[in-house]
Amino acid sequence: MSFEPIWGAIIAWYLFLAGLGGGAFITSAFLGWRHPEAVNMRKVGHLIAPIVVIIGLCLLMFDAEGGLHNPLRFALLLTNFGSVMTWGVVFLGGFTIVAIVVVVLDFLKKSVPVWLDIVGVLFAVCVAVYTGALLGVCKTFPLWNNALLPILFLVSAVSAGMASVLLVAVVRHADEFNRVGVLKKFHFCLPIIELVLVASLMFITSFNSVAGWNSVMSLLVGQYAPLFWIGLVLIGLVLPTALETWLLFFSPKEFEESRKAHWISFGSDAGVLVGGFLLRFLVVVAALPVTITVPMM
Amino acid sequence: MARYGMLINTKKCIGCYACRVACQRQNDLLPEQDFIRYEEHETGTYPNVSIETVPLQCMHCEDAPCVAVCPTGAAYIGADGIVGVDEGRCIGCKYCMAACPYQVRVHNEKTGTVDKCRFCTVSAETSGTKMCSCVEACLTNARIFGDLDDPDSDISKEIAATNAQPIAGDLTKSKVFYVR
Repeated sequence: MSFEPIWGAIIAWYLFLAGLGGGAFITSAFLGWRHPEAVNMRKVGHLIAPIVVIIGLCLLMFDAEGGLHNPLRFALLLTNFGSVMTWGVVFLGGFTIVAIVVVVLDFLKKSVPVWLDIVGVLFAVCVAVYTGALLGVCKTFPLWNNALLPILFLVSAVSAGMASVLLVAVVRHADEFNRVGVLKKFHFCLPIIELVLVASLMFITSFNSVAGWNSVMSLLVGQYAPLFWIGLVLIGLVLPTALETWLLFFSPKEFEESRKAHWISFGSDAGVLVGGFLLRFLVVVAALPVTITVPMM
Repeated sequence: MARYGMLINTKKCIGCYACRVACQRQNDLLPEQDFIRYEEHETGTYPNVSIETVPLQCMHCEDAPCVAVCPTGAAYIGADGIVGVDEGRCIGCKYCMAACPYQVRVHNEKTGTVDKCRFCTVSAETSGTKMCSCVEACLTNARIFGDLDDPDSDISKEIAATNAQPIAGDLTKSKVFYVR
């Protein structure tokens, strides 16, 4: 029996953009703490956060056709606090409000109070973890129903958020880009952690059940293998790790600050973003349910 | 209050799909909407093999995962234990479809909402209205509907006599029993 995925690319984009927004806000807060001189990069992160999250929410409403035809029904989203999706609405709502307030403060050239940064970061972490927990509580899908997924999505969210801020900085604020060494080193570590998490997810899920094995095999050797190996693993994780290892630890300092190196970083960050989306997409579409009598493929 | 349930005897099922056709007609469903789906289960080792058709539909679980995850309260359990969908509250997020362990909830392309077996045959049970439901359409009487709380009902007696069990054991406290 073949299985038609319940959710598709739209939901994958939404999960990615929600995580990306949270990650961008966390990046800004990190910059404020470790690189307070990188004022413009901080503002870039503040601006990316609400924009991508709002785009993601629009996609979500577009996918929920019952609500799209009757928008008032969206007000009912806050009625069942036993549902992870309801909590997601709370986190996304809170995060979007904080993120917009911060953008307004930036626009008015006022400083963002530390407590607001902390509240925003807490919401951002909740949003990123929620995108994993949303899928994670569906017991029927072994690829989702495990404790690794929320952590994997959180790491990927922060990684994508940092990549987005660094990517814009290459184009707009090259001087600041050269001075955020600590951020770059953190950003460098994340795809490596992600590689370990993805490998663990594949390994453990394949031993979980027939459905788990079939899901993993569709990623590793089946219909999603080209996207998984070339898109996610190579472009999204290995290439950024290799390029950044070379730039950060083996290339001469003069080269690291050259324009050529900046564009190499740009390519590596773009790869991280591609990988971030593909991670959500592949996890959403490759998951197969545990069935009653006949396994699905 | 009655606690309605169904018994499906796959030993009697010939896989003719009459129940699905009847259901689509009774509930005025779209051609691609199927509240009943079938798994063809092969058992045995050659040359002693057999095929069992397992009709699956909403199990009207007492411990319903769809109700637990529904963010708007559109999925609910009624007073008679029947799991329903309040279409006026459904935003079509499909979270219930992902949570259902039996994959028996279907998306309505026209309204954008989610729907599934409504145990419509309860009308035939309570008021005697002739219906075109899965129970009445079944050629081999593989389906019995009735009150699980009434020890004298046909379904209760048949469950006891055949040792019928929910398809996935105690997974969700299902009210559809199977003889296999």
